[in-house]
Amino acid sequence: MAGGAHHPQPRQYVMIAIVLAVLTAAEVALFYLEAGVDAIGQSLTVPALLILSALKFYLVVAMFMHLRFEKRLLSRFFTSGAILAGALYLITLAALGAVVLF
Amino acid sequence: MADLAHGHEEGGGHHQVTGIDSRKLGMWVFLSSEFLFFGALINNYLLFKGRDFGPGTLYPVELYDIPFTSISSFVLLMSSLTMVLAHSALARGDQDQTKTWLFATAFLGTVFVSGQFFEFAEFILHGLKLNINPAASAFYMLTGFHGLHVVLGILMLLVLAFKSMRTGGLSEAEGLNVELVGLYWHFVDIIWIVIFVLVYLIQ
Repeated sequence: MAGGAHHPQPRQYVMIAIVLAVLTAAEVALFYLEAGVDAIGQSLTVPALLILSALKFYLVVAMFMHLRFEKRLLSRFFTSGAILAGALYLITLAALGAVVLF
Repeated sequence: MADLAHGHEEGGGHHQVTGIDSRKLGMWVFLSSEFLFFGALINNYLLFKGRDFGPGTLYPVELYDIPFTSISSFVLLMSSLTMVLAHSALARGDQDQTKTWLFATAFLGTVFVSGQFFEFAEFILHGLKLNINPAASAFYMLTGFHGLHVVLGILMLLVLAFKSMRTGGLSEAEGLNVELVGLYWHFVDIIWIVIFVLVYLIQ
């Protein structure tokens, strides 16, 4: 076990999985709601979907992968890889005109 | 000299000056590098999905079956739960539950991959072939490589589960292998969390 830290118990893992399932249901609901709302509503859907997926990402990494209970070095390795990849590809997409950053 | 940088502990641990088992550190560094791999494939898809490849051509987005993919996503998400329960059971020394949850995770992974095969078959039957346009190629490359990662994960899970069955339980030293396979499995899950939103839901 990592660094002697207390990991969640099975009951807590099940609770986290329920939260993940609810977040997934919310994502799918947002996808279907998007068609029935006006332009302002639609412009909020994408950020909302990104926030929900970021939440799910965090829950899996922090609780299931136990990164929250690990040494900081592992967090740094992992987050630096994610940030590097995200920044690199966002810049590439912006440079090629696929997304508008500013 | 080597002992300064790399010491061995009893029980087969490979601890370095960082205080982290070198195999575990290696797995985290590998997973970190996988962000660049999948990032390139996601980037490739996002770049081509909105491009015009002439009239009459088919795009993956026209064939998405969101309810079906949502269920697949849910199955993969739940496989992360069974994986963490396997790890937790092993930490408690409950060998039977460890074996059960490892098999359950492999089963859920197989359901996910079968769904992906079904989706590919449906798309191809509708005329969305790999080389029909760059958007289709990018879609198959991204989801195909993800599926390949899931298949590798299933194989590793089955090796651990059958080893546990044959030997009557996994040893403490093998516990790290369960943790490493678990890390890999959860990573495959978080990549799908990103793919599900960026590829399927944000159209």
